[in-house]
Formats: sequence, C-alpha cells, structure tokens
Amino acid sequence: MAKRLFLAAALLAALALAGGAWAGVTKGVSDTTIKIGQWGPQTGPAALWGAVARGTGVYFQMINAEGGINGRKIEYFLRDDAYQPDRTKAIVKDLYENVGVFGFASGVGTSPGMAVMPYLVKNQIPWVGSASGSTHWAYPPKKTIFAVYPNYPDEAKVLVRYALDTLGKKKIGFLYQNDDYGKGGLEGAQAEMKKRGLKLAIEVPTEVMDTDLSSHVLKLKEAGADAVVLWLLPKQAAITMGTAAKLGYKPQWMACSTLSDAPLMYKITKGLWKGVIFGNFAELPDSDNPLMVKYRKAQQEFAPKERWGVFFYAGFGFVEPMVEGIKRAGKDLTVDSFVKAMETIKDFQGIFGKVTYGPDRRQGIRQVFLAKCEDKGQAKRLSDWIDAE
Amino acid sequence: MFSQLIISGIAIGATYALMALAMVIIYKTSEVLNFAQGDMAMLSAFVAYFILEDQGLGFAAAFPLALLFAFCLGAVLEFGFLRRAKEPTVLGLIIITLGLQMILYGLASWRWGSDQKNFPFPVSDFEVHEILPGAVISDLNLVTLGWALLLMLLLFAFFRYTKLGVAMKATQQNHVVARIMGIRVNRILMLTWGISSMVGASAAFLIASTDTLDPNLMWNPQLKGFSAAVLGGMTSLPGAVAGGFILGVIENLFGGYVSVEFKSVVAFAVIVLILCVRPSGLFARHYVRKV
Repeated sequence: MAKRLFLAAALLAALALAGGAWAGVTKGVSDTTIKIGQWGPQTGPAALWGAVARGTGVYFQMINAEGGINGRKIEYFLRDDAYQPDRTKAIVKDLYENVGVFGFASGVGTSPGMAVMPYLVKNQIPWVGSASGSTHWAYPPKKTIFAVYPNYPDEAKVLVRYALDTLGKKKIGFLYQNDDYGKGGLEGAQAEMKKRGLKLAIEVPTEVMDTDLSSHVLKLKEAGADAVVLWLLPKQAAITMGTAAKLGYKPQWMACSTLSDAPLMYKITKGLWKGVIFGNFAELPDSDNPLMVKYRKAQQEFAPKERWGVFFYAGFGFVEPMVEGIKRAGKDLTVDSFVKAMETIKDFQGIFGKVTYGPDRRQGIRQVFLAKCEDKGQAKRLSDWIDAE
Repeated sequence: MFSQLIISGIAIGATYALMALAMVIIYKTSEVLNFAQGDMAMLSAFVAYFILEDQGLGFAAAFPLALLFAFCLGAVLEFGFLRRAKEPTVLGLIIITLGLQMILYGLASWRWGSDQKNFPFPVSDFEVHEILPGAVISDLNLVTLGWALLLMLLLFAFFRYTKLGVAMKATQQNHVVARIMGIRVNRILMLTWGISSMVGASAAFLIASTDTLDPNLMWNPQLKGFSAAVLGGMTSLPGAVAGGFILGVIENLFGGYVSVEFKSVVAFAVIVLILCVRPSGLFARHYVRKV
C-alpha cells in the first residue's frame, strides 16, 4: 500500500516537473500561430466605437495574407462586451484561461479597460493599444501594458492652446461627460489654463443618460464662453449642437478625437457640425499616406461592407505597435522578449502619431493634429502633428 | 435664463407627457406597467426611418404606416405573449414586459445596428419664435406641445364618452364583471396595447428628430415618462400630461440653478417623494378595491 502511494506521489511529482517545463512554452504562441484577443462593443450605447475591433480583424487578415509575423499566423478572437465592464471581465478571463491567448489588442472604452486591468497586470498578460485616451494605462507604468492613444489631458491641452493662441479666444467653456473620460479632458484643459494663470470660463458636466441638455447649454451661454470644448458621446454632442442652434448660441465648438468621425457627426447633427475644430489621433479618411492606401485596399478586399470611418481604421492603428513589437521579438516570442522588444520602439510611425516606448515609458503617443469639419462632413487638416508638451 | 429654462422645461416635458400617456393607457385597463413601452416606440421609429430612408417614401406615407405598424406591434405583443401567461398575476405580466423590452432592443440592434442615425422630420427644431424676451421656442417644440395636449383631450374624451372607452375602464375595475356584462375583455386589452403603442410611437418620432436614432433612443424618455405618470397619478390622463410638464420644468430649473450633475436624478427623487406623500399621485383619486 505504502509502495503504491509512493509511486503515485512520484508520478505526481514527475507530472508537476513536466508541467514546469511546459510553462516554458508561451501561452497562445505555437510555431505557426499567435492567439490574440480583443473586446469591443458590438451592441449597446458605445457600439459606434465597436468598429475598432472589426478593423483590427481586417488588419490581422491582411498580415496573415502577407504570410504572418515571423512565420506565425494570427488567430484573432473578438468578443462583444456591449461596453459593460462586468462582461469585459468575463471575456478576458475566458479568453486567457480557456482559449489561451498570448495577449490583448486594443479594446474600446475606459471603464471596460479599467475593469480588467488588475487581472491583466496580475497575470502579466500583454495588452497594447487600448482604444481609450485614459491616463490610467501608462501612469504609473505597468510591465505588460502599452498605451498608444494620445491621452485625453494631452489632447485637451492642444485644443485649448489652439483656441487661445491661434484663434484668440478669451473665454473657454468645457462641456464634459461626468466620468473618467470627460474628467481626463477637463484636467488637461485646466492644466493648460493654469499654466497661463487663467481659468476656464465654465465647466459643465453631463450624465450619459441625459437627453435634454438645455440647462447645460444655457449655462455655457450665460457664462459667455466664446469657445466650447466638448468631451462627450456622439449622441450628446449632437443634442448639444441642436440645442445651441435653437438657443442662438454660436461659440467656436471644439471636440475631442472621440468625435473625429466628421462625416457621421455632420449627418447626425443635421449639418451643424460644420466649422467644428476637433482633435485627431489618426490620419484623415481620404489621406494619401501610403499605409492608409494599403489599409483601404485591405478593407475593400476583406470587409467591403464596412464604412471606411476613423473608428474602423483606428483598429489598424492601435495595433500597429503590437505587431511591430511581435516582429522585433523574433522567433523566440515570450512575454519577456515581447516587452523588451516593445521597449526598443522609438519614433515608430504608422497611421497615428509617433510612438515611443522605453523601460519606464508606457505612453506611446503624445501628439495629435487638428482638423475642421467643412461642407458635407469633409475634414480639412488645420495643423501637422502637435506635441502636447 | 429663467424664462428660457421654463420654456425648455415645458418643451421637453411634452415628450415626457406623451410617454406618460402611453403608459397610463395600458395601466388604466390592466394595471400592468409596461416596461417594453419605450422600445416598442423605438422599434416603430426605426420602421418609420426604414420607410423614409430605405424605401424613399415621404412623410405622408411613412408616419401613418409606422403608426399602423405600432398598433399591430402592440396588439401582437398582447395577443402573443401577455395573453398566453398562465394564471397571470400583475407582477408576472410586468416581468413579461421586461422580457419583451429585451427582445425588442435586441431585434433593433440586430436589424439596424447601433450607430447613431439622423431621423428626418418635416418640422424644424431650429426655426424659433421669441415668445418672451430672451426666451425662444422652436416649431418642433410647438408641434410636440400641441400634439401632447391634443392626444390628451382625444383620449380623455374617448375614455369618458365612447362605449369602447367605458368598456376599457370597466375592464380595469373588474375583469370578471366586465366579462359578465358582455365586454370582450381580451379584445379590449389587445386594443389598449395597440393604442398605447401608437401614442408611444408618435412620441418616439418627435424625440428622435432632436436626438439621434439608435436602439437606446427611448431609454431615458421611458424612465421620465414613467416618473411623470407616477407624479400625475397612474390612472389620470390629464395627470400624466401635467406630470410630464411639471417634471420637465423642475428638472430644468434644478439643472439651471442647483446642480446640473443631479438634474437627471431629480425625476427619481420625485417618484420617491410622491410615493411617500401621495401614493395615488397629484391628480388621481386612490381607487380602493372593496371586497
């Protein structure tokens, strides 16, 4: 009996040792494939931004068609979280533990991302290019998390600076969504004003479910703001524009890059979006940048039904640095070699601004450019890439 | 600013009033709170959008057709789902409406996606009239206001003076006796759902024209409509409309002068307050069931 027990124990020990040896094989990576996951709202209030995740899918298809990365094809797992953080959590856990992905690419939303970040950090799972400009990803730096999107405070600084210096506006109003997303923008705007010893003329918060914004707009009007920066969802931006037009209030409207889909905004505001100046983290849709031309071709080939909108091709851009990192890590791809490779990226430019990482730098891009909405929702570029600092 | 806040409050209140009317009609006959109300209306707005944009027909065709769709939708939901409930309790029926809400929401998201869409409307929200110094109201606001008041009067007259309306009221008070008196209770309920759905759909058209059309269109209006209905007393039609206006004005004044952060929460504070102080609402007599 004792002998048998001993044998069983020995067998278990041997298995455990072997298991240890298997751990040397990186999760989600085989000789011919890399598994990568992404969450993104395909339904629900933020579904407009869900195009990001489908864009990434087409980007990976394009890469696979070109032969993959270092001989490995990408297996892509897209899951709909409907912008509900508890669902995002379940998705990430399932993709990592059951499907066994190497890491996560992009993923829309500040709150969904915040909900899963502790899990990603704890298990040292690579996550690159959150489709949100929150500062939480990169500050403080976390080993396996790399931010791409220029963060909201940086972007707000650039917008406010432009309003004051280039447009000569005196009173800046700020209308923002009362959560992390909106407050991130507000913080940047306040910092830029403070640097000059000034203050915002008025700060007005909105709740996501508010559909009547008349008292909000009246407050901005009463304060006499001659430029108003919007940090809202597209739906509320549209309601704001309509309400302001009705009340005869015409400041210079400025908007966050989340509202940079000019053709869409023009349409849902019944043309009122004309003249709005907005931040951009990605090249304009009709750009003749060679990468944009190539990606457009991929879209026509793999997803001809998709609209070539900014949130769709942003799905390419958010993931470019990750693909670059995997490429640089070479054939011996592990989490550590990937992180090391990412840290060598300097002034890398795809269809976004310049990306730089380092041993303690995790915020990839710190620049945006500005554009203005013209007739029929055409966007006209106003500036080159502007550095936030 | 004060007069503009009041006017904007009345204007938005009119949309709450319409949703409140829709909810009250069903509650009046069956004592069921219909949580699918908003999404029934949203789906009808999508049908109107589909007829206008995809089929290219004009408003004169699109709105009547979409209202017809709304009527059928209401009737079918009652006939197909609520009537099928075995030994129905009011709570059970309310939960069925919650389920219907999810089905309709999913259906709209699946068919039309959840991108925001521009809902065309023949009346402009940007053509404004200065009715008080410094305070404007738009053509669309006036239409909404007029429509809410007109519907209220029509429905009020319908319930009071027509045979069918009286039958509906009787149905609410006592199903069994109503049936003994020769009222076809099932048919009455089906009709009620149809009419209520049409009222809700008309609200959705008006709301979608200032908002953007997407599956979440009626989420907030339904909550506000419900609050307005509670405020006015769940069974009173004029109460529902007055409740809508009062709620709209309170919200705007609160947002303008007290705190814009808590503007949307006011509606819920109102519900709680009314349920504590005057549970039958401001305008309804409490109906005591005598055994």
